Amino acid sequence: MAAKKVGDTLSRELAEEVKKWGCMKQTGVSLRQMMNFGGKFSHKNLLISAKFVHRELRVRIARRVIKLENLPYGLSSKAAVLKVRDWYLDSFRDLRSYPEIKDKNDELEFTQMVKMIKVRHNNVVPMMALGVQQLKKERPKFDYEDLREIHQFLDRFYMSRIGIRMLIGQHVALHDPNPLPNCVGYIHTKMSPLEVARNASEDARGICLREYGSAPDINIYGDPDFTFPYVPSHLHMMVFELVKNSVRAVQERFMDSDKVAPPIRIIVADGLEDVTIKISDEGGGIPRSGLPKIFTYLYSTARNPLDEDFMTTDVATACTMAGYGYGIPISRLYARYFGGDLQIISMEGYGTDAYLHLSRLGDSQEPLT
Amino acid sequence: MAAKKLYESFSKELIEDVHRWGSMKQTSVSLKYMMEFGSRPTARNLLISSQFLHKELPIRIARRAIELQNLPYGLSLKPAVLKVRDWYLDSFRDLRSFPDIKDQNDELEFTRMINLVKVRHNNVVPMMALGVQQLKKDLDPKIDYKDLDEIHQFLDRFYMSRIGIRMLIGQHVVLHDPNPPPDCVGYIHTKMSPLEVARSASEDARCICLREYGSAPNVNIYGDPNFTFPYVPTHLHLMVFELVKNSLRAVEERFVDSDKVAPPIRIIVADGLEDVSDEGGGIPRSGLPKIFTYLYSTARNPLDEHSDLETTDVASPSTLAGYGYGLPISRLYARYFGGDLQIISMEGYGTDAYLHLSRLGDSQEPLP
Repeated sequence: MAAKKVGDTLSRELAEEVKKWGCMKQTGVSLRQMMNFGGKFSHKNLLISAKFVHRELRVRIARRVIKLENLPYGLSSKAAVLKVRDWYLDSFRDLRSYPEIKDKNDELEFTQMVKMIKVRHNNVVPMMALGVQQLKKERPKFDYEDLREIHQFLDRFYMSRIGIRMLIGQHVALHDPNPLPNCVGYIHTKMSPLEVARNASEDARGICLREYGSAPDINIYGDPDFTFPYVPSHLHMMVFELVKNSVRAVQERFMDSDKVAPPIRIIVADGLEDVTIKISDEGGGIPRSGLPKIFTYLYSTARNPLDEDFMTTDVATACTMAGYGYGIPISRLYARYFGGDLQIISMEGYGTDAYLHLSRLGDSQEPLT
Repeated sequence: MAAKKLYESFSKELIEDVHRWGSMKQTSVSLKYMMEFGSRPTARNLLISSQFLHKELPIRIARRAIELQNLPYGLSLKPAVLKVRDWYLDSFRDLRSFPDIKDQNDELEFTRMINLVKVRHNNVVPMMALGVQQLKKDLDPKIDYKDLDEIHQFLDRFYMSRIGIRMLIGQHVVLHDPNPPPDCVGYIHTKMSPLEVARSASEDARCICLREYGSAPNVNIYGDPNFTFPYVPTHLHLMVFELVKNSLRAVEERFVDSDKVAPPIRIIVADGLEDVSDEGGGIPRSGLPKIFTYLYSTARNPLDEHSDLETTDVASPSTLAGYGYGLPISRLYARYFGGDLQIISMEGYGTDAYLHLSRLGDSQEPLP
């Protein structure tokens, strides 16, 4: 059972450590830096990386603990949020109690440890979602405007989580003796956005077929030979979320109609600075007044599959067509993590266009808040 | 030659009057009201309307005059800006010195007077543009467009206010027309077909492109030809014209030396929204904020110090690219009626412009 206050069960010493590390300056890393560093496998580099990660994770995780304890509207004391806070505290404690990394063995053990940390935090997103839901139940008069502070917190919190998991993941991947060609950890130095878009849309179509029995066509246009360095799993996730929404909109609009459902069009454009992926549908669109809501957390026009039982079940993968309303805001965080963005413009009565902007240069630092 | 010191041309009393009226509260007119009121242009209604304008116009004009005097970076002292300030002060004086409007004769004279005020201000936009250009010459060339943000915000407010003033004056004047075209209430067409306006605006834009480049990409327009709603056709025409102009130029320049056929520009009209899409190569994200600033243009600036802006009429945009005001002003027009203009670009491919139009009637004039 999660303790309500840190000081209750843990020593004051730990609380002070958290405070100290939580005020220290974070150090951002760019995609290009990650790529360049990771490309040179050597024991020396592994040691350097481990020391950096050992220090940086403590700073970032402590910061998150402090924020989790100081949320508005009493969100901090919701059961689900306390659970998340305890995960972060446990991880901080693990890192803090790990001794200085001096040699290869220390380093291997350390890597095992941070791997476990990553696993411990696997369900942070749905758990926080449950926490917000628990809050909403208590205060039914809550408006999206009131939730703005909470949204801002969640944006920063999840963005930070993307960074932490990226750092851990890259460090762990450095140990792979047989990495895939052209890959540096999660980064594919020659990723073809067209190919990733194709896979992601096929996955989205698959889910639609399963739920509705049919699915609209998807046409993809772009240069099949164009590649650039990026994290394919991130891009896959974003395109998947966007195409899922488009497919659902079109399907629901034309399901009971005689007309043939118009295809969803995806254009992959490569420029000097930006790579842009545009996903267009004729699914009927969203009124302008409804647009701000789609970027909020827990706004969804679908049934919410979360319920209280979740605290004990493991709901790692979101396999439904529409869920607890996190697809779009989280996709935008992933896009922004590497200096890109996600914009959605809708034409009420016609359809919606989603623009995924990715930075081609890989120079931007992680956004750290 | 515009006087640098205010008191050299205008009396102390007038200046105090300006400050007094400039602090008074503006009254926004609901566009629904404009339509309903304007549909019954009886002598009595015209009297009421003129009495309202007699009070409202000096407030709005005084406010602008004061702002013009207090611009950052010394913009207020540039000759072109002083000229604009003097226009506003002259108009304020004309309005304030006009006696109370009591009968139909007064009302007709008043209408004539405010029409002249409108004509006096015809070239405000290019004149302010010249003023900003004069400022840029003096400024440190290292200054970036972002630093001029204060000026951009001022210009946005200033031009938005101008749209409102001209809408009020124009509506009042046009209501005196004894033979108005059917379905029209002043500038407002109660059954405007956005598809039709888009068609004529793009044809105009194509003509200019043909004249300058010798060829022009096709423009395909999709939408319901029977869909109509109340709006101001001239505003929509201006906005679509500006957007299509940009698209045509981008596509033309991209494909002019190529064997490939230039891809058409597509316009989709969807129930109050126009999507103008081109495959003209796009704009990098880093370049997008600039397109909404004033005086950013990738084309040669046709204005120069020697243009005689007092007598020349620079009202019609006769070139394909000009002094860089098309987009920000179009956005103001869109926003004036509660709509918006958004531009998204895909570098290496093309640009999409979304013109959102609100059906007239739901929104109040924005009064900065």
